[in-house]
Amino acid sequence: MLLNTFSLKEAERKVFRTTLLDGLWDIFIGAFFLQFGIAPLLSSRLGDFWSSAVFLPFWFFLLLLIWWAKKSVVVPRLGSVKFSATRRARLSKFTFIMLGINIISLIVGFFFALQSDLTLGLFHSAALGFMVLLLSSIAAHFLECGRFFIYGCLFFLSIWVGEWLFIQYKIPHHGFPITFGISAGIIILTGLTLFIRMLRQYPLPETESQPKDSSYDR
Amino acid sequence: MTAKREGTKEIHPLAEIDQVIHAPARLMILTYLYVVENADFIFLMRMTKLTWGNLSTHLSKLESAGYVAVEKTFKGKRPQTIIYLTEQGRMALRHYKNNLMQVLDELPD
Repeated sequence: MLLNTFSLKEAERKVFRTTLLDGLWDIFIGAFFLQFGIAPLLSSRLGDFWSSAVFLPFWFFLLLLIWWAKKSVVVPRLGSVKFSATRRARLSKFTFIMLGINIISLIVGFFFALQSDLTLGLFHSAALGFMVLLLSSIAAHFLECGRFFIYGCLFFLSIWVGEWLFIQYKIPHHGFPITFGISAGIIILTGLTLFIRMLRQYPLPETESQPKDSSYDR
Repeated sequence: MTAKREGTKEIHPLAEIDQVIHAPARLMILTYLYVVENADFIFLMRMTKLTWGNLSTHLSKLESAGYVAVEKTFKGKRPQTIIYLTEQGRMALRHYKNNLMQVLDELPD
């Protein structure tokens, strides 16, 4: 017990993993998948640009909701912690790498979009899926959260299988409402399960001013 | 007399082990505080799985030894107790680790 307790590396990991214990970011990622499923349905009416842009207020609202839930639901139950300088440096490095890859992807995507005869096809869908898989693998590595890698695999499968369904069976909207809908369902359900488990496992403690059995009167 | 002196020499690293840190609960608290900049009371309670009363008792002992510092603040309307490891506590934990490793290294297989 003593030696198990004294594993500093494991203790630090355990502390960091609490940030993803509540499943809120899983719900956010699930919503991102859901947009890929719904946007193609709207594109015939709104066009490609507006079918995506229409989700912006939704993202704003969702981020606000996550911020509120973290502050009002999660922190009173799990408490708060300030990570060590080493961990914060690792997180900054992660942010810069993600930002860099996203900017490069945007530039590459922009040049591809300029080609008017561009169709998605199996090759392009695999390339796009691989890009997201790469991003999710980096996130899984830096955030020490294996399920982010699985989400990347789900994205790869959703885009590739959707395109394959479209080519083989002429499923409308590249099959994305089906494939991304299923993936979004899996991810959102995972997030909700984690959130409910956190609520059950960590009920609100007594307030600090009136602890039940406190001998820590200062 | 000589045998007694020999015995004392053998157990010397053990005798130097810091009894304040040696209790598993306090060792756990210090371990978590060692790897973060600071943490609040609830977070430590969740990590160590100690009860409110137990944690406060152990924190009082650690604070008396000068190993941790406690700050009472407010987060909005909610009172918040922030705990962090002092430099003295950090050094004591390192010293404790070295002592314990020395004792365990000398243990015959």
